[in-house]
Amino acid sequence: MDFLDRYRDIVPDYEAFRAIQCQPLHSSARINTLKIKRDQLLEKLRGQGVLFETFAWYPLGLRLDAGSPGKLLENLLGYIHIQEEVSMVPPLVLDPRPGETVLDLCASPGSKTTQISQMMENRGLVIANEPSLNRLAPLRSNCERLGCLNVAITRYDGRNFPRIPFDRVLVDAPCSSEGRERRGPGVLARSSCKRSMDLQVLQIGLLKNALRLTKPGGAVVYSTCTYAPEENELVVQAVLEETDEARLERISIPGLKECPGITEWNGRELKSELQSAARYYPHINDTGGFFVAKIIKN
Amino acid sequence: MSPKSSRIRNVFEPLDSSWVADQWHSRFGISKEAFSGYKFFQKAKSIWAISDACLPRLSYETIGMRIMSCKGRPWKPTTCALQIFGRYATKNLMHLETAFARIFLEGASQAVESDCEPGYVVVFYRGEVLGCGLYSHGKLVSQIPKERRMADRGSEDLS
Ligand SMILES: C[S@@+](CC[C@H](N)C(=O)[O-])C[C@H]1O[C@@H](n2cnc3c(N)ncnc32)[C@H](O)[C@@H]1O
Repeated sequence: MDFLDRYRDIVPDYEAFRAIQCQPLHSSARINTLKIKRDQLLEKLRGQGVLFETFAWYPLGLRLDAGSPGKLLENLLGYIHIQEEVSMVPPLVLDPRPGETVLDLCASPGSKTTQISQMMENRGLVIANEPSLNRLAPLRSNCERLGCLNVAITRYDGRNFPRIPFDRVLVDAPCSSEGRERRGPGVLARSSCKRSMDLQVLQIGLLKNALRLTKPGGAVVYSTCTYAPEENELVVQAVLEETDEARLERISIPGLKECPGITEWNGRELKSELQSAARYYPHINDTGGFFVAKIIKN
Repeated sequence: MSPKSSRIRNVFEPLDSSWVADQWHSRFGISKEAFSGYKFFQKAKSIWAISDACLPRLSYETIGMRIMSCKGRPWKPTTCALQIFGRYATKNLMHLETAFARIFLEGASQAVESDCEPGYVVVFYRGEVLGCGLYSHGKLVSQIPKERRMADRGSEDLS
């Protein structure tokens, strides 16, 4: 865990940040409006005596007080999807509309794909791309269980996804997952700068292609569940430096506290624009950790 | 094009929506309108449905939802498709009481009384579709996929 010390200067209230790493995360789920109305679902949970609380910032998000929420009948029937609280942020920031054509470049197991599908009310088209063969089955199974009828799955390396114009692209990139420590300790033990730098090369490749695939006026959301600036701000900076066709849009979700993206790292000054990105820390909202940036293509 | 005329090839081939609607109408009495607004594809012996939108030229792993398999006779609806289209069924459906619904969700077989024709049926519980069952001679065999079955009896309550 000492690896986290490299973030001492960027994380507010660092001691609290360290302390919360050892506290397990509460269970959470998203209501799947493709299959059930919110009120009906809440009624069912109450009927079963399942204790829950809705998120302050998202009416479809629930904190559940259930031993194994995955075994709830509501989950088996696809009325809810077990999903970490801040993992519901990137689709909201992407803001897809019914009828659009949307690409989820790194899709499995499809938590965000299915959230996008429901935001689009099963209309339009979501391409869920996932190159890893053994990660296809969970992606497919989640789409089917949740009743997604506007999703098609492809298996390209995201860096070479064929040139087709999209209204919106989500890049929920492979990352060192430091923000998941509360879900299962051990992630941090595997973190290293070398690992982050290797991932960075892939992440830049993915984000660059995503921007290429986006229509003018369209949006790309880049997200990771890690704190390492090498995999976050530095990736966005590298891609913005190569183009004058794109700008960052400020992220702010009422009811959920974000910290601004950082503009200095290891003595290197970064683009001031990066403040518009959002860092979600576990001790601030009692969640996992996430980084999210929204890029608009001019 | 009907499944018979299609060679077994590993590509998605567009399928006439009226053929799909006819099959579901004749087995479950579902009105054909329920299938408007979708495009249908066949790959090998499976039929897929996706919301009507322009599909770019890509190499696809899946296109929408797998809704039926024509591997055997009769054709078999998938549980996930019944959870979408099954609620419009007017025949070959059954409503289960709590104890029976639980057994069905566990993936087991049980004796039931029903006037359904032998074959695949839509299984309901309290007005909601649970999934696909195979009914014949007073016996209902659950077709719920393994990963979506309820685990051990009594661990979770139905309501
Ligand atoms: C953080 S996970 C995505 C989680 C998913 N978006 C969700 O919300 O359920 C990153 C995914 O990217 C995939 N991936 C790895 N290399 C990739 C590449 N070159 N192109 C696209 N995806 C890749 C991984 O297999 C992994 O499934």
